[in-house]
Amino acid sequence: MSSQTHETETFTAVATALIRPETEQERERRRIVVMCLPFFVLATFAAFIPLVVMARMSVSADQFENSGFSMEAWYTLATESVYLTVAWNTLWFATLATVASVIFGVGISHALEKYEFPFKGFVVSMISFPIALPGIVVAFMIIVLLGRQGLLTHTVAFFTGGSPLDIAVATTVFGLFCGYVYSLIPRSTMVLRGTYTEVNTDAEEAARALGAGSLRTFYHVTLPEIRPGVVAAFILTFRSALAIFGTVLVLQSLNVATLRIDREIAVGFNSQIAGAIGLIYFAFILAFTFVSLRFTETDVVEI
Amino acid sequence: MAEVTLEKLHKRYGDETAVESLDFTVHDGETLGVVGPSGCGKTTTLRMIAGFETPTDGVVRFDSEDVTHVPPEKRNVGLVFQSYALFNNMSVLANVAFGLKMEGVGKEERRERAQELLDMLGIGDLGDRSPESLSGGQQQRVGLARALAIEPDILLLDEPMTGLDAKLKTRLRTEMSNLLEELGVTALYVTHDQEEAMAMCDRIAVLNDGHIEQIGTPDTVYEQPANTFVANFIGTSNVLRGKANGDSVDLGFTRVQDERLEAVNGEATLIARPEAFDVDDDGFEAQVRDVHYLGERIQATAELPDGTDLTLKFDSFDRQVSADDVVSLALDLDDVHVVD
Repeated sequence: MSSQTHETETFTAVATALIRPETEQERERRRIVVMCLPFFVLATFAAFIPLVVMARMSVSADQFENSGFSMEAWYTLATESVYLTVAWNTLWFATLATVASVIFGVGISHALEKYEFPFKGFVVSMISFPIALPGIVVAFMIIVLLGRQGLLTHTVAFFTGGSPLDIAVATTVFGLFCGYVYSLIPRSTMVLRGTYTEVNTDAEEAARALGAGSLRTFYHVTLPEIRPGVVAAFILTFRSALAIFGTVLVLQSLNVATLRIDREIAVGFNSQIAGAIGLIYFAFILAFTFVSLRFTETDVVEI
Repeated sequence: MAEVTLEKLHKRYGDETAVESLDFTVHDGETLGVVGPSGCGKTTTLRMIAGFETPTDGVVRFDSEDVTHVPPEKRNVGLVFQSYALFNNMSVLANVAFGLKMEGVGKEERRERAQELLDMLGIGDLGDRSPESLSGGQQQRVGLARALAIEPDILLLDEPMTGLDAKLKTRLRTEMSNLLEELGVTALYVTHDQEEAMAMCDRIAVLNDGHIEQIGTPDTVYEQPANTFVANFIGTSNVLRGKANGDSVDLGFTRVQDERLEAVNGEATLIARPEAFDVDDDGFEAQVRDVHYLGERIQATAELPDGTDLTLKFDSFDRQVSADDVVSLALDLDDVHVVD
């Protein structure tokens, strides 16, 4: 029997088992397929096909339609310093905002999961609230608070005697950082709270009884246990940070990838470069996720 | 090691009272068992001694020092959990050495001391392993070694055998008991298993609804229970009631005479363990309803003419009793305890 015939028979057998399953294992496989298929159909049209189109666009010789072949856009991306600056800005800023958000998230999750206190539900609502806010609204809130007419700006000016023009930081990198962190904290907290419920409280108490104070217990026992959650929170938050657009569009304090893609399309419809940046963005996120997931497994440390 | 004293210890959660006016001392080098049904306040008591719960009222003393508000990490308490609570991100040796590391003991010394304890517990070759790769019994030995490594003032054991199989439980409790005695450790042993408490502890405190019903040596608690709760909780009992008259009491199915009854005024309660009954031609009649073979012993339920059930135990080699038999029973007053 040729190998092609054998493969055809195997495929037919698998397809038959999916359509008319006879064993429980086959029925289970069919349930998995039924549950996952809608997503893959959606992803094909919403992600895979657009990605292929973007790849084609990035090597198109024509700016307004996909025709011909040119590596001009990729060459420009690789050689012009403005694009390297965009890449660098995107990475360091998203990393910094992510680290801050995860640190805040760890503290908040620890307080919410380890202690009982009044108005806990209200606190949870306040923390999760920014996730529902559009980036543009977050930027506006930053301006209202830290802009030239901002409440905090004027309060500081009143007490220090300084000029609000000098004190206002809404449209600086710091203002943008505040907007990013405010938007990202709910995302990191959501993941970390789930992880905290799995922490072995008995082990923490054992550590304390053995002489470790709260901080050392956190470092030696809690942190290793929540490490997969911290990594997961970092992955989710970092990817969200890379994708923030509304806030940076309004505040315009730093030239990052999302803003640059918008500029490339809005100013001169430079679709080849926009497509190339989009592809790099996608490839980077994919690689980052796979590499990061390798750090979610815990190791056994020696004495 | 230290003597641990609880003085009028209360713990309330809102309107719920978990522990009420506990007064007892765990003497230096003694193992005190705390037994009682679920929710009676055993674990709350242990957690107040460890410092994880703040008493609503009362004082915890280690020797003469008031430690009621001292944080757990400064109490020098060893804790052994039912869940083992080992640090799975550390090796077995690192687990045992953890407390010494927190005390600032040098690396070499803490390794040596941890290894000594592992050897003592018969798991010396497991030092490099991850706790997760060990069996339940091995993990509990590691938990014990880790708690003992810091030479605690008191060792608190919270149902440490609950997750283990019966055979391992029996072996481990013998080993643990011998070790505690050898090291002269002051220990508080919380368990719902009365047999375990009787086998391992110098004294037993029986808790019910947050207060102590009785505290005493295992044989005192078993043979002279303070009340019907203790009698029913520790072992199996037949609670017999009747009107006392002088030195005798009419139990309905038989009349018994004993000088201890002279102190009883009115209603008398007698606690008769299943072993207190034996088959005797001159006794009272009862019908055997069911018989359970328990290996060395058989347990039978017999119904008296007035409908009262008695639980009986006989050596399975000596006595052959079958369901539906009508037997004549006698009550050995030496094995009967009179409750005020």
